[in-house]
Amino acid sequence: MPERARDEPVLAPHAPLFRKVLIANRGEIVVRIARTLRELFIPSVAIYHAVDAQSPHLVACDEAVEIEGEAPVAAYLDIERIVSAARAIGADAIHPGYGFLSENASFARRVAAAGLAFIGPDADTIALMGDKISAREFAAKHGVPVAPSVRSNGDLADFARRAATIGFPLLIKAAAGGGGKGMKIVRAERELAEAARIASSEAERYFGDGRIYAELYVDRPRHIEAQILGDGAGEAIHLFERECSIQRRFQKIIEEAPAPNLPPEIRARMLDAAVRLARASRYKNAGTIEFILGADGRFFFLEMNTRLQVEHPVTEMITGIDIVRAQIEIAAGQGLPFAQPDVVARGAAIECRICAENPDRDFLPETGVLHYLRKPEGEGVRFENALRVGQAITSEFDPMLAKLVTHGADRDKAIDRMQAALDDLAILGVTTNADYLGRVLADASFRAAVLHTDFVVERTDALRAPPDPRRLRLALIAAALGDANFRDVITSVPDPHATMGPWRN
Amino acid sequence: MAFRLIHDGHAHEIEVVRRRPRLVLRIDGVEHIVASLGSGADGDDALEIDKHAVAFVRARDRDRQFIRLHGHVHEFAVADELAEEGGGEALDEVRSPMPGRVVALTKAVGESVARGETVMMIESMKMQLSLSAPRDGILASLSRGLGDSVDKDEIVARLEIPSVRA
Amino acid sequence: MRPIRSTLSTSSAEFRRNDAHNRALVAEFRARQEAARYDRPPRDLERLARQGKLLPRERIEKLLDPGTPFLELSSLAANAAYGGEAPAASCNAGIGIVSGREVMIRADDSSVKGGAWYPLTVKKIVRSLDIALENRLPVIHLCDSAGGFLPLQAELFPDRHMAGRIFRNQSLLSKLGVQQLALIFGHCTAGGAYIPALSDYNVIVRGTGAVFLGGPPLVRAATGEDVSVEDLGGAAMHTSVSGVCDYPAASEEEAIRIGREIVHAWRRPRKFAAPPEAVEAPAYDPEELYGVLPDDPKRQFDMREIIARMVDGSRFHEYQPNYGLTLVCGFANIWGFKVGILANNGVLFNDSSLKGAHFIELCNQNETPLLFLQNITGYMVGREYERKGITKDGAKMIMAQSCSRVPKFTVMCNGSFGAGNYGMCGRAFDGRFVFSWPNHQIGVMGGEQAANTLADVKLNQMRRLGVVDPDEIEKVRRETLLAYQEQLSAYHATSELWDDGILDPVDTRNALGVALSASGNAPLGEPGYGVFRF
Repeated sequence: MPERARDEPVLAPHAPLFRKVLIANRGEIVVRIARTLRELFIPSVAIYHAVDAQSPHLVACDEAVEIEGEAPVAAYLDIERIVSAARAIGADAIHPGYGFLSENASFARRVAAAGLAFIGPDADTIALMGDKISAREFAAKHGVPVAPSVRSNGDLADFARRAATIGFPLLIKAAAGGGGKGMKIVRAERELAEAARIASSEAERYFGDGRIYAELYVDRPRHIEAQILGDGAGEAIHLFERECSIQRRFQKIIEEAPAPNLPPEIRARMLDAAVRLARASRYKNAGTIEFILGADGRFFFLEMNTRLQVEHPVTEMITGIDIVRAQIEIAAGQGLPFAQPDVVARGAAIECRICAENPDRDFLPETGVLHYLRKPEGEGVRFENALRVGQAITSEFDPMLAKLVTHGADRDKAIDRMQAALDDLAILGVTTNADYLGRVLADASFRAAVLHTDFVVERTDALRAPPDPRRLRLALIAAALGDANFRDVITSVPDPHATMGPWRN
Repeated sequence: MAFRLIHDGHAHEIEVVRRRPRLVLRIDGVEHIVASLGSGADGDDALEIDKHAVAFVRARDRDRQFIRLHGHVHEFAVADELAEEGGGEALDEVRSPMPGRVVALTKAVGESVARGETVMMIESMKMQLSLSAPRDGILASLSRGLGDSVDKDEIVARLEIPSVRA
Repeated sequence: MRPIRSTLSTSSAEFRRNDAHNRALVAEFRARQEAARYDRPPRDLERLARQGKLLPRERIEKLLDPGTPFLELSSLAANAAYGGEAPAASCNAGIGIVSGREVMIRADDSSVKGGAWYPLTVKKIVRSLDIALENRLPVIHLCDSAGGFLPLQAELFPDRHMAGRIFRNQSLLSKLGVQQLALIFGHCTAGGAYIPALSDYNVIVRGTGAVFLGGPPLVRAATGEDVSVEDLGGAAMHTSVSGVCDYPAASEEEAIRIGREIVHAWRRPRKFAAPPEAVEAPAYDPEELYGVLPDDPKRQFDMREIIARMVDGSRFHEYQPNYGLTLVCGFANIWGFKVGILANNGVLFNDSSLKGAHFIELCNQNETPLLFLQNITGYMVGREYERKGITKDGAKMIMAQSCSRVPKFTVMCNGSFGAGNYGMCGRAFDGRFVFSWPNHQIGVMGGEQAANTLADVKLNQMRRLGVVDPDEIEKVRRETLLAYQEQLSAYHATSELWDDGILDPVDTRNALGVALSASGNAPLGEPGYGVFRF
C-alpha cells in the first residue's frame, strides 16, 4: 500500500471502525497502538504534557493535544481534561494503553458517559477485577484455584493471628494495589504484625485504600499468565500463555511465550481456568489472568489485569495475531475476530524490558540524556520504543525506556536472536539494564529454563558483571582517543621526537 | 601533564609510551599497541589494539564519555583535580570594574558563596551590575555597604579560601 | 648510500679493554650527573615541600609532552666551581616538546641555594638564550630564584655577556617574533623581574610567585616602606592592577596547565630545513662505541667506526675517499636529517685542510648542516709542511668553516687541542651545539706535551743559570701533568660551559637528532666567504 499523506481523506476498503481514536497514554505503547490504527485507516490522536512535547509518540499519531497540568504524571491521569480533549477533537473512542488510567473504572465510566467507546472492558469488570479481594473471591467461585488467603478487617492484630494460619512464607498485598507495588514477603510469625502495619499504611498512602490481604507465598514460584479475549457476551478465547518469572522488585523484566518446560496438562488446565473466568465475568476485550505455579505443579490465581499488558508482543509474535487490532474490533462491536481453533502458536518469543536503572545498585532508577541510540533490527526482531536522541531521561515517569522482542523457531533460537539484538542495541547517556539482561540470557539456568520469581535475587552474585580489566583498558583507550586534548597530544608531536619517544640524556 | 580518566570512582592514568612507529599506551601498568586511532567522533568507531579490531560506540556529554565496547557500557569522566578547587580561580577578591554605588547586598559576612554567585549589585552609568564571587568560599569581609560609592577596580569584598593546595 | 663496513672485531682483547674502560668512564659520568641532578640537602627539599613547591625537574617533566625526548644541556655546569655548591649551576636548560612545539626550557633550580644566580648560572642562562636566538626556538622560563649571588656580583653583573645579556637576548628574541612564556613559581627579583616582564606571556602562582624590582627588605632599607611580598609583587596585584602578569594560577600544576595551553595556541613555526627523510637505526649497535674509543688517549682510532654507530643505517657517502686521509669527509643522515660530516683520523695536513675547506663549501652550496667529530691534536708541524703552506691551508679551512651559512654541530669525541680545535669548529665558531664525551680533553696542547715542553723550558733555564736539578725538572713535569689533567678534563670544560654538555657517546645520535630538528627553525645565514689565502 502506498504511504498516504496525513490529511488525505481515507479511502478504505470498508468504512473504518472508528472515526478517530485518542490514545490516553505516552511513550512506546502509543507508537505501537498508532501503528495498528494506521493499518486500519483510523486517525489517531496523541495526548501529551509539555515535558513530552518533543516525544516521538506525538509524531507517531495524526494529531496531538496538549494536556495541561503541573505535574507531568498528573496530566496523563487527568480524566476530565482527557475526555474533553477527546470530544473536542472529534474522537469517538479512547484506547487507554497500560498503566495510567487503563484500569481506572471511573475513567471507563466517564468515557462511556461522554458517548465515546472505551477500548477495553466494561467499567464494572474493571472494578470487579481491580479489587484484588473481590477478584479472588470471584475466581474461587468459578472454580479457579486460589491460594489460601486471609483478608484484613481493620483489626490488624486479629488479621495477623488469622494470617499466621496460612503458613509461612506468606505474602501481604494491598487490595487496591497491583503491578507489583505494595507487596511484602513475611517469612516468620514474629515479623507478621509489623509487616501488616507497614503494608496497610503504605496501601493507604499509595492507593488510597488501606485494605490488605495475606496469601500463601509459594516458594520459587513461576509467574505464568494467560492472554484472553472476550466478546462481552459470555464468549472468550485464549491466546496461549506467557512466562514472566524473571522479575526484580516484583516487576517483570523478561517475558516469554510460550512458557517453557510446561507440562501440557498443566497448560491445558491453566488456559481452561482462564477462559472459564473470562466467560463467567462476561469479559469484554483483552485481558490477562495471572497465575503462580509451584514446583509441585499446583497453581493459584494471582490477579486479573483488565487491560493490554506491556508484554503482549511475545504473544503476538508466536500467534501472528495483532492484539490491539482485536481490541479495536471488539470495541467496535464486531465480536471476537476469530475462534479458538484459529489460534496457533509457532516457535517462541522473548521480550526484554530495557530500563533506565543500575543493576549494580539494586536496580535504582537512573537519569541522564539519551546521547546515542542504535536500534536493533532484522528478521524476528521488534524494538518497541518512543526514544529520541537528545531526550532527557528523568524520574518523572517509569524507568522503562523500550521493549526488545525477538522470535525464533524455538526458544534457543529466540534467545540467540535476543542476545544478538542486545549486542546491536546501544543506548548511551543513561545507565540501562541492557548489559545485565544480556548476562541473564547467557546464564545457564536461564537457558535451561530453570525459572522462578526469585531468579534475579538468587542469582545476584552470578549475574554481577565480572570484572574485565582488559575490556576496561580497551574502553579507556577508546575514551582517551575521543578526548580532543589527548588526541592532540598524540598527533601533534613532530618527527623525529615522535619516533624517538621518551629519551633523556 | 598526566591524562586520567575516572571510571566507577577510580582514576586511571593513560600514559603515552611512544608514538612511532606505532602508538603505545600504558594503562594500569599494561602496555597496548594502538595501530589506528579511529575517528575520535561520536557514534560507531573502531581501533586496532594489539592487532585486534575493536569496534565500539562512543557518545560524549560535556566532560563525560560513554563507551560501549564488547557488550558493556562504560562511563568515563576526565579527571580534573583543579576543578575541585572551586573553579581553579586564583583570586579571593570581589572587585568593581567600574565606579558606581552599591544598591543591593545579597550576601552577608560569614555566608558561604559559590563561584559565580552574586555578592552585591552596583549601579553605574544608568546600568545595574552584579558583582559575583570568583570562586567558592566564605565571604570574609565587605568593605562597602548599601548606598556607598565604589571606585574603579576597588576591592569591595574578600573571600576566605581553604588553605592553598600544595 | 652504502653502509660502512666495520673492520673491528668486537671480540678482540683490545675491543673488550676499551669497552670496559669507557663503560667505567660513562658510569662515572652518570654518577656525577645523577648527583648533580638529585643530591640536595634535605633541608632544602623540606623547605620546598613546605612552600608547596614542586622540584624544578618535576616541573619540567609535567610541562613536557608525555612520551617525548628531552635534551638537557650542560647538566654538569659549575661542577668544578664554587666548591661544588651549585650543581648544574643552580639551573636547568634543555630542548623538548611542549604541546607539540619544539621549545627551549630554562628553569631556575630553587633546590640549590634558593635558585641563586652564580656567575656560571648567568652564563648558562645567556647560553640557553643564545641557542634560542640562533635556532629561533620559543623559550619557556620557569622562574624561581633568590636573585644574584651577591658575593660574586662582579662576575655576573657588569660585563657584556653577563646578566644584562639575558634581557638583551630576550628583547631580540621578541624582535625576531620568537615567543617566550614565563611561569613564575617563586621570586623574580631585581634583574630577574625582567624575565617575566620581557616574556610575551607569563603565568604567576598565587602565594609563592612574586615579581618586584626590589624585595621587601630592600624597599624597607631604601624608603622605610613596610610592605609584604604579596602586596608588593604577588599574583593578585600583578594580574589585576599592574598588568605585569597575565594569568594567575592557584597551584604550580595549574600554572603548567595554563602554560601548555598558551603554547598550544602559538602558531606553528616555519621550517627552513628540508623535512627529515625516513629514519633507519644504525646497522651497528651504538653500544659498540665503548669498544671503539681507545683506553689510551694517545692511540688513534678510525672515525668511520664512530660514524657507523651513529648515523642512519650506518650509511655514509664518503667524499674524496683517496685524498687527505687524515680528515674523513662525507654525507650521512641522522634521524632522517642529512648532514655533512668532518671527522679527524689524525692531525691535519695540507691536503686534509684543503679537503675540509672544499667539503665545507660543498655543504654550504647544498644547504647541508655540518657535523664536526673532533679528535684532533693539531695541524702538522715541521719545515716541509710550513713550506707547503700548512698555515694558509689551515686558515682556508677556518675561513670556510667560520663563514658557513649552514648550522654547525660539534662533538668532541676525544682530543681537542690547539689550532685543530679552531678548524674543527670549536666553541668560538658559533656552532649551534657543542657536545663532548666523558673521555674528551681540551687544551692548547696535551698534558704530556705541555709537561715535556715546560720541563724543557725549565731545563734550558737551569742550563743558562748553570745549575741543573733533575728533581726540580721532574717536579715541574709532574705538577704540570697534574694541573693539566684537571684543566684538560671534560668535566672542567663543561663546568665552565665551554660546551653544551657531556654526553654518553651512545646518546649522541639522539642528541644530534633533537639538535638538528631544532636548528631547522632558523633561516640559513647569508652565503659568502672572505678572502681565501691561496
